[in-house]
Amino acid sequence: MSGKEEKEVEISIRDVGVAFCDNAGNHVQALTGVNLDIYKGEFVALLGPSGCGKTTLLRSVCDLQEVTEGEIRISGKTPGEIRLEQKFGFVFQQPVLLSWRTVKKNVELPLEIMYYSKADRSKRADEMLQMVGLSDFADHYPGQLSGGMQQRANIARAFGLRPDILLMDEPFSALDEFTKEKLHMDLLQIWSETNKTILFVTHNIQEAVLLSDRVCVLSPHPGRLSAVVDIDLPRDRTLEMKETAHFNELVSKVRNSFEGGSV
Amino acid sequence: MKQRIMALSRKKWFSMAVWIFALVCVWEIGASVVAGTKRSPENILPHLYQIAVAAFSPEPVSAGMSAAAVVLTSAGATLLRALLGFACGTVLGFALALLMQLSGIVEKLVFPYLMLIQLIPVLGLAPIILSITGDINQSRIVIAAVLSFYPVAANTLAGFQSVEKEKYDLMYTYAARKSVIYKKILIPSAIPYFFTGLKIAAPMAVTASILVDTLQGDGGLGCMLSQSLKHAMSIYVFWLIVFFSAFIGIFSGYLMGRLELLVSPEKRKPRKAQKRKGN
Repeated sequence: MSGKEEKEVEISIRDVGVAFCDNAGNHVQALTGVNLDIYKGEFVALLGPSGCGKTTLLRSVCDLQEVTEGEIRISGKTPGEIRLEQKFGFVFQQPVLLSWRTVKKNVELPLEIMYYSKADRSKRADEMLQMVGLSDFADHYPGQLSGGMQQRANIARAFGLRPDILLMDEPFSALDEFTKEKLHMDLLQIWSETNKTILFVTHNIQEAVLLSDRVCVLSPHPGRLSAVVDIDLPRDRTLEMKETAHFNELVSKVRNSFEGGSV
Repeated sequence: MKQRIMALSRKKWFSMAVWIFALVCVWEIGASVVAGTKRSPENILPHLYQIAVAAFSPEPVSAGMSAAAVVLTSAGATLLRALLGFACGTVLGFALALLMQLSGIVEKLVFPYLMLIQLIPVLGLAPIILSITGDINQSRIVIAAVLSFYPVAANTLAGFQSVEKEKYDLMYTYAARKSVIYKKILIPSAIPYFFTGLKIAAPMAVTASILVDTLQGDGGLGCMLSQSLKHAMSIYVFWLIVFFSAFIGIFSGYLMGRLELLVSPEKRKPRKAQKRKGN
């Protein structure tokens, strides 16, 4: 992980601020003065307490949220242009599966929208389901699956698209520890195989340290980027790394970088 | 013992059997009491077996037809008109719901006043529509359509509006076109609501058709109903028609439920899975 200058900047966030009016008509400054470069193939975690604007930043990157100050450029283009080129994969906190489609058909949904042939869709969906370990459940409906399995289907759907940029909004926060750890390892494996750029929003410090190359710490009121911590744990990460002294040092370093020590 | 009763009561057929038994008991007690008063020459509330006998007796009651034949032919006429009206109402209801979803202006203009259609008593509306169309058959279809229109439109619109923001967000990240969002998300989401509308509308269309039958004789269950009540036929035939009409109404709702399972397989399988778990 040496020599950042060799790496190509994919997402460039310059002086970004987001303000909007809430339902009560109050002016809310969700984000202010965010500067961040994200490199191609990098795994970046956006970490912070609720209300720090991490989800807002993630949504801004894929054009779901309008930026009111500064600008975001992705390979020189605007988020809107990249969206129309269908290069984003977004994993929501909730699985957002369509209850009337089987698991496999859910994974095929974005491929249908992008006019892949039936054979291609089926082949790719099978691959993705294999990858997340849901092959036996391809013909089940989402309602018949556990929360963890639904979330795996959600991830399979996002990866099936082979998006250039994968955005994940607290994808594992609703899951139990065991499922979460399993999915952490699955995600890292898929990432190392596909080498996508991943932006991962979380409020869990351990999760951020275990998964990412860099942890971007955001602080609330108003939401701003307060620190970026490089995670120099070796790749292929394992769950055992959580027990090491270096892992705990990094966790402490991240924790101490919250401004005001409020967390 | 108590556990066994509890287990039985969970079974669908058991509760149905209890209900039927209770209703038969109440009916028979009522029939005996009414027979005891003897206010009318014919028992206005006959015993159930008398109705059953009338149903299977080959004796002609009207125009050389047996009671069963009269009921079945008029039921056929009623159902055909109800079905035509129901189909028109359903198509129009769905189309209007779609239009209201597509255009906020249409929704604001139309939806609050749609309710008014529901508030007009059919009994009053029927003669008016009859005088406009001038044809009893057409007016039957129109009334059935008017009645089935509202529940389908209102429920389908609720279905469109039930789609969560996340689903729109997901489609937005795919840069999906509006027509694709309708095809892949909105219409499938509305299907269960649409069927709720159909389950309400189907018996209403049958009721409307029977009601309009009573206005003018041209076959149909309602027509036979008013004739038999005027003692043109026996009171048994009257009750036979009442029972059969009720059955058609219930059956039409049930049929919509079956149709829904046919269209939405995801509703079918979990139920089976639950049953297996229970055993």
